[in-house]
Amino acid sequence: MFVNLFRTSKFAAQNFRRNLWLSVITVFILVLTLFTISLVFTINLVADQALNSIQEKIDIDIFFSSTASESDIIEAQVYLQQMPEVDQVTYISKDDALEKFAASHLDDPNIQESIAELEENPLPASLVVTAYELDDYKVILNNFEASQFNEFAQDKSFTDYQLVIEKLSNIINRIYQIGFILSIFFIIISVFVVFNTIRMATYAQREELGIMKLVGATNAFIRAPFFMEAIFYAILSAVITIVIFYPTVLLASPYINSFFEGYDFDFMYYFNQYVLHVFFLELAVALFLTTVSSMIAITRYLKV
Amino acid sequence: MIKFKKVSKLYPDKTPAAKDLNFSIRPGEFVSIVGQSGTGKTTIAKMIIAEEEPTAGNIIIGGWDITNIKNSDIPVLRRQIGVVFQDFKLLPKKNIFENVAFAMEVSGAKKEDINKVVPQVLKIVGLTKKTDRFPNQLSGGERQRVVIARSLVHHPKIIVADEPTGNLDSINAHDIVNLLLKINQFGTTVVLVTHNHDIVNSIKKRVITLDGGQIISDQKTGKYIL
Repeated sequence: MFVNLFRTSKFAAQNFRRNLWLSVITVFILVLTLFTISLVFTINLVADQALNSIQEKIDIDIFFSSTASESDIIEAQVYLQQMPEVDQVTYISKDDALEKFAASHLDDPNIQESIAELEENPLPASLVVTAYELDDYKVILNNFEASQFNEFAQDKSFTDYQLVIEKLSNIINRIYQIGFILSIFFIIISVFVVFNTIRMATYAQREELGIMKLVGATNAFIRAPFFMEAIFYAILSAVITIVIFYPTVLLASPYINSFFEGYDFDFMYYFNQYVLHVFFLELAVALFLTTVSSMIAITRYLKV
Repeated sequence: MIKFKKVSKLYPDKTPAAKDLNFSIRPGEFVSIVGQSGTGKTTIAKMIIAEEEPTAGNIIIGGWDITNIKNSDIPVLRRQIGVVFQDFKLLPKKNIFENVAFAMEVSGAKKEDINKVVPQVLKIVGLTKKTDRFPNQLSGGERQRVVIARSLVHHPKIIVADEPTGNLDSINAHDIVNLLLKINQFGTTVVLVTHNHDIVNSIKKRVITLDGGQIISDQKTGKYIL
């Protein structure tokens, strides 16, 4: 068995060498295909993480006017808490707000001085609302605005985040769509190229194949080198792709991270977690494409 | 034993290549199948190695009915039959040793066996000193010896030689036939397909003569009668 495996590999390597240019083109097309597929996969993967890290920071701050009593605010809190879309509602009193403000500006003596001079706390009490889903914020806001508690509300902060998320989602979706279409395009091309390469290999070796048949080579032995050649293409192109893809991602990561400044998101950190997934996806796709197209070529052109 | 029982062969365009062939070849026999071009000699050789299937009748080789042989069984059959062709069918990029070894490699033989058997068969055909030459560095007769050596690596019980002297001058042609006779003396059945009068007449063995796809004569120690 090992003898046959060794000889099959030897014949496959011969095929690869004899049609060197065709082999190089085949690998090149496969690398392009795998690169775009990896890109789509990575975008899909990292986009979820990026959006999550933004979403984690999202909440609605409802600031209450000074006319609202603490019991009004607590009632509003209970009202909000009862909504199925709401995850958590935190009450921040005027005093808590001032304390937080002072704590966050400890290094600034001017602000500290101004706070000390204040006769009355100017900061409003607020409710901080977090939802389960991003889409729920609109529903929560609409419900709140329709409720009796809306008259106590002085201000609500949410719209800015919404805009960021929408923009980011749009960009990600567009890149994803383009990548997806490109992937399909390259998949079709690579199937044709691998098919043609194997066809050419069978044609170039028709004499040798004829002799093999005459001297009693089994059908499996005659076909195996062509499958093996296809597997060579798959492994080689998957390795080349990851070798190119990883540094590309590494170079791009500072630019991508700059989009998410202020958020808990590090592109390379997420990518490194999934780099093996990316490689195995590339390998699986390459193996699938090459074996399917070589199988079609072998059954069509290698009559044994 | 090779047995043809009422074997006929029609090509797809309905041209008859063989009609109602009935003959047996005993183990260890040397049989020349002769006839003019297009009389069905090569069709018989091809049917023996299952390259062609008969349209009617049965072909039995060593008790095995190969008439409707399965694709997966063809390699098993071909390892028991050595084949020699007029156009040599050698691989130009392999040297003599590699060309002969190739037949063993593709059937999964171990390297030790290859290294043992190949020099033996090259010795039988008298090419021990030229093992590292390439086919284009050999004469026609030498190339045909390589083909015979290759056909011997599986220790076949039968050798089918289809016009093995067709591309050779008379001296080389006689050398090749003498080699086939030598192999026959070891007990291997030889089926020689030829239209060379001199060769057939010099062998003095059984001759089956074909005309129009039919057997017109089967002589124990025959001559070329056409």
